[in-house]
Amino acid sequence: MILDEDQALIRKTLQGDKKAFEELMRKYEKRIFSFVIRMVRNEEVAIDLTQDFFIKVFNVLDKYNFEYKFSTWAYRICYNLVIDHIRKSQALVSSLDDDSVSSREMLSSENVVSHDGFKNLSREETSAYIWKLVENIAPKYRELILLRYIQELKYEEIAEITALPVGTIKNRIFKAKEILKREMEKDGLPA
Amino acid sequence: MACLPDDKILSYLDGEIKSIEQSLIRDHLLLCANCRRKAEGYAEMNKILAQPAFSQPPAWLVPRIMKRLYPEIPRYTSIAALIAAGFVFFVSWIYIYFDFSSNSLIQALRLTADRTSNWLVDAIKGISAVYSSVQAVFKACNAFLGVLLTTRPGAGALIIAFLLAFSGLLLWAMIRLLLRKPREEKQ
Repeated sequence: MILDEDQALIRKTLQGDKKAFEELMRKYEKRIFSFVIRMVRNEEVAIDLTQDFFIKVFNVLDKYNFEYKFSTWAYRICYNLVIDHIRKSQALVSSLDDDSVSSREMLSSENVVSHDGFKNLSREETSAYIWKLVENIAPKYRELILLRYIQELKYEEIAEITALPVGTIKNRIFKAKEILKREMEKDGLPA
Repeated sequence: MACLPDDKILSYLDGEIKSIEQSLIRDHLLLCANCRRKAEGYAEMNKILAQPAFSQPPAWLVPRIMKRLYPEIPRYTSIAALIAAGFVFFVSWIYIYFDFSSNSLIQALRLTADRTSNWLVDAIKGISAVYSSVQAVFKACNAFLGVLLTTRPGAGALIIAFLLAFSGLLLWAMIRLLLRKPREEKQ
C-alpha cells in the first residue's frame, strides 16, 4: 500500500517515533487551532480543545484505518470535540442570525472604520472584517464555512465529517454567504 | 429580464452549474448590471474566504502536548537520591524505635582514632560530637516514646501508624518533586 505523507508519519508514530507525531502536529496545529478558535471564540478554551484534540488523536491512532485520508478522520474528531464543547457550555450565544451583533461596532473597536466608511479599507482590512463576520454568524453556518475555507475540504468530505447531506451543506454555505453579504451591505461595504 | 436568484449566482461562481446553464448565466451576467454587481461581490467574498487568515496557536502548545504524550523519565541520579533519602529515614526510624544505645559504632571509631594522627582524631571527634548530639535527640525521643508507651498502651500502634503515614507522605512528596513537569513558559 502506498502511504501519503500523513500516513507515513502515522506509521512512524505507531512504531514509537515521537518526532513523527510532533511533525504531524506542526502540520495541522494552525488549521485546527484556527477552526477551533473561530468556533468557540475564546482563546483559552481553544488552546485546551486543540490540546485535547491532539491527545485524543494520539490515543486512538492505532484505530486509524489507512484506507482513508488522515485529514478527514482527524477533522471529524476535531469537529465532534468542538460541537460537544459548544453543546455542553451552551455557547450558542448571540449570532448574526439574531441581528444582535453590530459588525460596525466590532470594526469600530478595532479602529478599522474611517470617517469615510469602508471606502478606504485595504484588502487585509476587508479580509479581517469578513472573517470577523464569519466568527459571528450562527454556528451551524460558521462550522461549514470554516470546514470549507479553513480546512479546505470538499463538500463530500464535509458531509462525511458533519454527517449532513451534501445538499444541506451547499444550501447552508450559500445561506452563510448571503448573511455575510447582507451584513456587509448593512455596514456600507460593497458586496 | 428577471434577475437571477443569489443561490444561482453562487452556484455558478462555485462551478456547480452544468455547462449549458452556465453559458446562459454568463450571458445574463453580461446583460444585467444588477446581477453582475452581485456576482462581483460574491466573487470577491469567495476570494477572501479562500485566503483565510490563520490564527497562530501559542508556540508552547506543541512542546506541552509532547510532554503530556511522552512524559520524561526521572534521571538515575534523582532515583538514587530518592532511595538514599528513603534509606536514611528508614534507619533513623528503626534507631528511634528499637533504641540502639549501646554506642558500639562510636567506641570503635574512638579506638581507631587513638592510633591515628591528630587531625584525624580531631575530625573523628567532631563527627563523634555531632553524632552524640544527634544520638541525644534520638534518646530523648526514645525516652518520650517509652513514657508514652507505658502510660498509654494503645499509643504504640498509633505511633507506628503515624510514622508509616509520615514516611509515606514524605516519599510521595519526593516522588512528586522528582516527576514534576518543568514550568510551562507562557507567552
